[in-house]
Amino acid sequence: MFSIIRKRLLQLVFVVFVLSLFTFGLMKLAPGDPVMKILNADEMMVTEADQTKLRSELGFDQPIYVQYGQWILGVFQLDLGKSYMTGKPVINEMAERMPITAQLTAGALLVMVSISVPLGIISARYPGKWPDQISRILALIGASIPSFWLGLMLIYFFSFKLQLLPTTGIGSFSHMILPSFSLGFSLSAVYARLLRAGLLESLSEDYIQAARARGVKEGRILWFHAFRAALLPVITVFGLSIGSMLGGAVVIEILFSWPGLGSMVIDAIFSRDYPIIQGYVLLTGVFVVVVNLLVDLSYYWIDPRIKQKEEGTA
Amino acid sequence: MSIAVDHTKQISSTEEISIPLSVPLLEIKDLSISLKGSKGQQRGRLVNAVNLAIRPGEMLGLVGESGSGKSLTASAVLGLLHESMDVSEGQIMFNDKDLISISKKEMRILRGKEITYIFQNYQGSFTPFIKIGKQFIEALRSHGKITRKDAEKKSLMWLERVRLPAERIFNSYPHELSGGQLQRASLAIALMFKPSLIIADEPTTALDVLTGEKILDLLVELQKELNCAVLLISHDLKHVLKRTDSMAVMYGGQIVEKGPTKTLQTNPTHPYTKFLLQARPVLSLEKPGKLAVIPGEPGLIAKQGCAFALRCPKAFEKCGTVPEIRYQENSHGTACHAVDIEGDEKIASS
Repeated sequence: MFSIIRKRLLQLVFVVFVLSLFTFGLMKLAPGDPVMKILNADEMMVTEADQTKLRSELGFDQPIYVQYGQWILGVFQLDLGKSYMTGKPVINEMAERMPITAQLTAGALLVMVSISVPLGIISARYPGKWPDQISRILALIGASIPSFWLGLMLIYFFSFKLQLLPTTGIGSFSHMILPSFSLGFSLSAVYARLLRAGLLESLSEDYIQAARARGVKEGRILWFHAFRAALLPVITVFGLSIGSMLGGAVVIEILFSWPGLGSMVIDAIFSRDYPIIQGYVLLTGVFVVVVNLLVDLSYYWIDPRIKQKEEGTA
Repeated sequence: MSIAVDHTKQISSTEEISIPLSVPLLEIKDLSISLKGSKGQQRGRLVNAVNLAIRPGEMLGLVGESGSGKSLTASAVLGLLHESMDVSEGQIMFNDKDLISISKKEMRILRGKEITYIFQNYQGSFTPFIKIGKQFIEALRSHGKITRKDAEKKSLMWLERVRLPAERIFNSYPHELSGGQLQRASLAIALMFKPSLIIADEPTTALDVLTGEKILDLLVELQKELNCAVLLISHDLKHVLKRTDSMAVMYGGQIVEKGPTKTLQTNPTHPYTKFLLQARPVLSLEKPGKLAVIPGEPGLIAKQGCAFALRCPKAFEKCGTVPEIRYQENSHGTACHAVDIEGDEKIASS
């Protein structure tokens, strides 16, 4: 177990390193000049001297590898630099906005689980029957609706027409409902189908028949014998798609004006605020790797045979 | 570890006692199992008008080649037929209850308590990611109120009774056990409730010969102790001849011959049973000749009439209809048109 965690942590360092190299390089290649943005060149006259001064302050006059080296050294000391725009440390900026994004993601996950689990179970219990057909149609709808459109429609109906829920902003539980649903619904459709397929497979295993032959109740068989094995593919896909879920969160944050990490990075992109963008990409990368580590560890919990195999080869 | 049971003595003792003529514990009457067709109409019949009876404490062997319907019959008894099949005709009477018409809940309560099942595939007998002990406790708690502690005690006791290192097995995952250990554990979980009927579906097929023998010895020993009936399904004639009180031979979903094991062994009447007995290697002092082979393709089943007709050298035009089981003395029954029950000379002379 610990050898696996150690291996994964080494991988994490490598992934983050490559990731940082890419983001840093792409930032430098991208068109647009942060200096002009910082000096607000659109609205006032900027002298050549001002530009040169700022450039050397930000270290832009040095070779790229030196700039990268300085940045990555900072990263190791948990210093991601300062935002060009606000002048505040990137770490502080992100720490401020993280809870908001975490709230949104948690809400979306909650919506996802509470829709996909019952739907998946029902359609696995009655394959081909009407509950299964309904869930199939729902899944198709969920997978084809873009979350921003769903968000707009939800705002239109629930906030504008019915005036039940607030349109934008954060603060209360009712503020969370629409964004969580917009982000979680399309995902839940996919997971319901995945869970159904997993359950159908595990329910046809010999050990399910054996448990039935022992007179174990059908409900218990489903939850304790079939469900766990069916989680394997679901969790795998979850680990793989966590990145795109964070991407979806960006759109939803903009749509509902949530001051989260997503809207932060969008602002940063428009204003060429490199330290913020780099910090965000780094954070996302670490998050995705850590989630996948947890996914891998959950395999060992789900099926102890996997652990034995890995330890045998390690 | 090994249990010294004298098999020759066993056979002779069953001969002396003979089968008690008490009320059957399980009586399968005219059982037919069919594949469900589309729109509810039935298609192919998989098991055709099977009649079987097991008395309390009896060990009945059900033999036949793969696909002959042995396991299907057993699944029907447990109410665990695959969704694509159902019982199209007949009754399964268990202690005056028709297992086909009782509710799912009643069936579940019987299953695992009154009727238990030992699977051929020991790997699939336990859920792979749940510890053995937990599955024992789960089974016990599925059939009535019992505290976790008492359930643990009982489980450990039964693991010991099948001669396993109880504590260790209790805390192990199924994949940490050997095949023999798993089959012993499934024996324990099947016997734990002192059921009145155990269905052992080829319990030794996936094991090596010695381990298989030991498992069966253990089964016989515990059966005697608990006085439960055993339906031993096997395609290994050796086990069935050695250990059962009576036996039934199946071919293509039909029972072709049944009766006391001793009678069938010494005086088989159905051509298929005869072939089966001839095709089995027997230890003798002389150098054996070539082993007899049953003619025809295994699994070749006639669509109509006697299922064995296409492979049977005695087949004649009458075999296009399904033969009724006709009984001779000692509840020895044969379903064959070519067998003359009165004299049985037609077959014997040829």
